[in-house]
Amino acid sequence: MRRLALLLVLLLPACLAKPFHQQGLFDFMLEDEGSADMAPTDDPVISGFGPVCPFRCQCHLRVVQCSDLGLEKVPKDLPPDTTLLDLQNNKITEIKEGDFKNLKNLHALILVNNKISKISPLAFAPLKKLERLYLSKNNLKELPENMPKSLQEIRAHENEISKLRKAVFNGLNQVIVLELGTNPIKSSGIENGAFQGMKRLSYIRIADTNITSIPKGLPPSLTELHLDGNKISKIDAESLSGLTNLAKLGLSFNSISSVENGSLNNVPHLRELHLNNNELVRVPSGLGDHKYIQVVYLHNNKIASIGINDFCPLGYNTKKASYSGVSLFSNPVQYWEIQPSAFRCIHERSAVQIGNYK
Amino acid sequence: MKEYTLLLFLALCSAKSLTGPSYFTLKNMMLQDMEDDDDDDDDDNSLFPTTEPILPLIPFDLFPTCPFGCQCYVRVVHCSDLGLTSIPRNIPPDTRMIDLQNNKIKEVKENDLQGLTSLYALALNNNKIYKIHPKAFQPTKRLRRLYLSHNQLTEIPTNLPRTLAELRIHANKVKKIPKDVFKGMKSLHVLEMSANPLNNEGIEPGAFEGVNIYHIRIAEAKLTSIPKDLPSSLLELHLDDNKITGIEVEDFNRYKDLQRLGLGNNKIKEVENGSFANIPSIREIHLEKNKLKKVPPGLPELKYLQVVFLHSNHIAKLGVNDFCPTGRRKKKALYSGISLFNNPVKYWEVQPSTFRCILARNSVQLGNFLK
Repeated sequence: MRRLALLLVLLLPACLAKPFHQQGLFDFMLEDEGSADMAPTDDPVISGFGPVCPFRCQCHLRVVQCSDLGLEKVPKDLPPDTTLLDLQNNKITEIKEGDFKNLKNLHALILVNNKISKISPLAFAPLKKLERLYLSKNNLKELPENMPKSLQEIRAHENEISKLRKAVFNGLNQVIVLELGTNPIKSSGIENGAFQGMKRLSYIRIADTNITSIPKGLPPSLTELHLDGNKISKIDAESLSGLTNLAKLGLSFNSISSVENGSLNNVPHLRELHLNNNELVRVPSGLGDHKYIQVVYLHNNKIASIGINDFCPLGYNTKKASYSGVSLFSNPVQYWEIQPSAFRCIHERSAVQIGNYK
Repeated sequence: MKEYTLLLFLALCSAKSLTGPSYFTLKNMMLQDMEDDDDDDDDDNSLFPTTEPILPLIPFDLFPTCPFGCQCYVRVVHCSDLGLTSIPRNIPPDTRMIDLQNNKIKEVKENDLQGLTSLYALALNNNKIYKIHPKAFQPTKRLRRLYLSHNQLTEIPTNLPRTLAELRIHANKVKKIPKDVFKGMKSLHVLEMSANPLNNEGIEPGAFEGVNIYHIRIAEAKLTSIPKDLPSSLLELHLDDNKITGIEVEDFNRYKDLQRLGLGNNKIKEVENGSFANIPSIREIHLEKNKLKKVPPGLPELKYLQVVFLHSNHIAKLGVNDFCPTGRRKKKALYSGISLFNNPVKYWEVQPSTFRCILARNSVQLGNFLK
């Protein structure tokens, strides 16, 4: 009897309406000026089939905004045309296999500030167009294998990553930006040539970790290398060899006491070098002959004297770019002991900050 | 002068410009909904529009550089996770979006955003901001999205750009929404103010006068009743995780267009008769995790109601006309989701016809009451 009643319910087609669909609800967020005055219609027209915007999230223009909702898992039934999914500041612990199914058009996935410790190896498989993956502030012990080949940017700051394996990065030919700062990475945890597979890698940041040397086998495409706040004790020339495109090198807040001769020769297009807050006792060699260097931070070191040719080339100025910033303050060197001609190739006086040693 | 001429010569004949990844073509999704005006340099996709050595006559840095450690491309400046204690200088003036989240910034100073007249989105969430200079946002005449969540703000910044469409101040220490704080912000559509120590008295009368917000969320706060002075333009109101004890007839007087209502995890005991008659367009009502003893009155009259969450309440009995209209009054949308589990009501005591206006059998979740 009850079954019959239920059947009747199911057969009640008379008042069948299409399921709730939020389409158009946020169309007024279009940036045209007139949109502000657009009032919602008096009689909501329920139209179109398709997944609903998850409750409490905001969906507009294919951006699904679900941050700060206390979510413990990825919401189901996300609109399949979503291009950006923002799930930051929730309590998601795990990314499961089917969590992103159908999201073929997703370009950016923001999972920052959750409690993710586990990502199913197949979770990202449907995301054929994913370009940006933000995993910072989670509990990941390792980056997942099988990340989409379309990725251009990976950020995994502040996790528990200790190992960087070649297999994880291999084939990620489109990655341009890789940010891995504030992780318990040791030099021994970085597999030889781990990054070599990333042919387009341009920016890498491994700051505030436990590495003791510059990782070897960095791809020649690199233009920025940020390794500040580590435990690196010296710069050896070999680790920079082949980095002919490197323009910015950040190595401040390490314990670097020496820079091997020839290191700067290996990075001929370097523009900016940050070596402040280290243990250097002299200005790194090779600056005088370097053609493009513009900014050199050397403050907070143990530099006791400055040679007349430390910064500028011998003889006529062969530099192709002039220094715009040289910082030397908080070093034992006394400014009255520096020959003014040490800075003869620097055109702007304020470019040099000497200061006093306290 | 001789030197400059030489420099010019050098620059012209030999300077090899930085070969950055000039094909970083993807458009930032966050930016896709902004007007594409003055887009003359969309193909300028270099990651580092820093000082090219090609600078004849002026040998030192004139062009703004990308702040060290940040990435600048397609007018998006990415400076998250850098441990920054202040907003970096020399942000390219044509920047449309700045991502400064997860740093240690304490203050937004008067001149921090100077010259950023094209700025469209600013993410400052997850910093230590306790102070924003009243003139700080003056230069940002086009700012649409401002993310200030997870900071130490004790009040909503004054003099916010009137162009704002979205304002997020989740998890700060804001106690008050003062009168006129959003004055003139005609395009403000989304306001996220959850996880702030806000109570009902903190929302001053007139706080929302003249604004057309469509989506407000004040969850995880100290509200004891539904605020009555929110904008009448509301389509979505989310007040979950508060201390609201009941719903009264006049609560929804102003919110005639409301479509989604979130009141989960409150202390609601009763919904006064006729309360929902004021929100005839409602599609979704979430009342789970409250103290309701019966299904709220007035549901059958809501023609568009499709989702009702009532699980985890104290409902002991269901009437046959609690959800569906009788007679010829038709619903324009069938229920696609009714949740009733975790209530004392026993499913075998529920008349099957109670759910005669549902979309499918699995639209109703009855479940068992767990002792």
